[in-house]
Amino acid sequence: MGMDNPGGIPYFILEFGDELVYFSPYTVSLFILALVFTLFAVIAKPERQVDIVFGGDAFYAKETSLAELKFRRFMAIACGFASMGAMVTGDLFNFTLFISLVGICNVGIVAAVKNRHVQNAAYQYGIVALSATVPLFGAAALIAATTGTLSMVELWSNASLAVPLVVKALLVLGVMGEGMAPFYAAKAEMFRAPGAPYVIMCSLSSLLIFLRVIEVVLVI
Amino acid sequence: MIIQRISRIISNYEMIMPIFAGAVTLLFVVAIFSLPLPYYEEQLYPKTYDPTSPLNPYDRGGPPFIQIDIKEQYPENSPMAGYVTSYLTPFSWYMANTTLYLGTTIVAHPGGILDEILYNTRGLDTVVEPTILFIAFAIASYLYRKG
Repeated sequence: MGMDNPGGIPYFILEFGDELVYFSPYTVSLFILALVFTLFAVIAKPERQVDIVFGGDAFYAKETSLAELKFRRFMAIACGFASMGAMVTGDLFNFTLFISLVGICNVGIVAAVKNRHVQNAAYQYGIVALSATVPLFGAAALIAATTGTLSMVELWSNASLAVPLVVKALLVLGVMGEGMAPFYAAKAEMFRAPGAPYVIMCSLSSLLIFLRVIEVVLVI
Repeated sequence: MIIQRISRIISNYEMIMPIFAGAVTLLFVVAIFSLPLPYYEEQLYPKTYDPTSPLNPYDRGGPPFIQIDIKEQYPENSPMAGYVTSYLTPFSWYMANTTLYLGTTIVAHPGGILDEILYNTRGLDTVVEPTILFIAFAIASYLYRKG
């Protein structure tokens, strides 16, 4: 290894053919965070929101139906697995695939709520996630063209392979579009949805992919 | 003041798509101005186009069950690559013999071409790709039934 990886020296590298999955101190900590949160999503029961009627004793309890609970839990777990994959993968095309999987799972978590405002917001976010695939996969294709490889290990160990700055910017913009959920202006609309652990999964996965893309951009 | 005005504009969730599209357009303009980007001659997965082959562009050549040399990043990780460059079902065989466009129908009928690079050396990608599709189908069917 010629250059240093800012995420630390990998503890071990798992090989899937040409795709290396590497566990460095940085990626391992993010991976464990995603794993713990996925376990929370598996065992947690959804929050039950209560609206108090002003000036009286009455209140509305919002119920989450069993079908909705099951679907949102499934999406949250899938989102957790996708974030875990995105945290440790050492291949750029594989990374972009995991990122778009995170994006579509986030759409699924919020789209299952039967509320007009929430579904409108989820629809807008879905369109952003859809259009973000153009810069995302475009960046992966440009990296393959300008360096001839997709493996991050090759890119950081071989100093002569340089990715142009504008390509890195495209990659970051694509990840921003896919993981926009917590920074989304319609946050209040989406997060009005009852069922706390699942909605937090969508914030956490976005946070994790942002942290990971910083490492990727520094490494390549 | 200016922050207030900006946050008022972006608090409308119908504005998020135009703003993102604007950012993408801006960056694409920058990208177009920074052309030509250097092209790395020694590509990892070189493509050769043979317009006369019906398996184009998935034609990796070689007789079946005899290992041919396929360029990989880490050859030691996939020692079996290059043995089965293509497997054609009778229907695919018929299509390959009658038309020139079997390579473009790889996703449109079962039992077509086994691409060594796609399925052997980059197998994790092929797992994640259908997962994205399945998740999308799950969301669509849930919304259709319950929505």
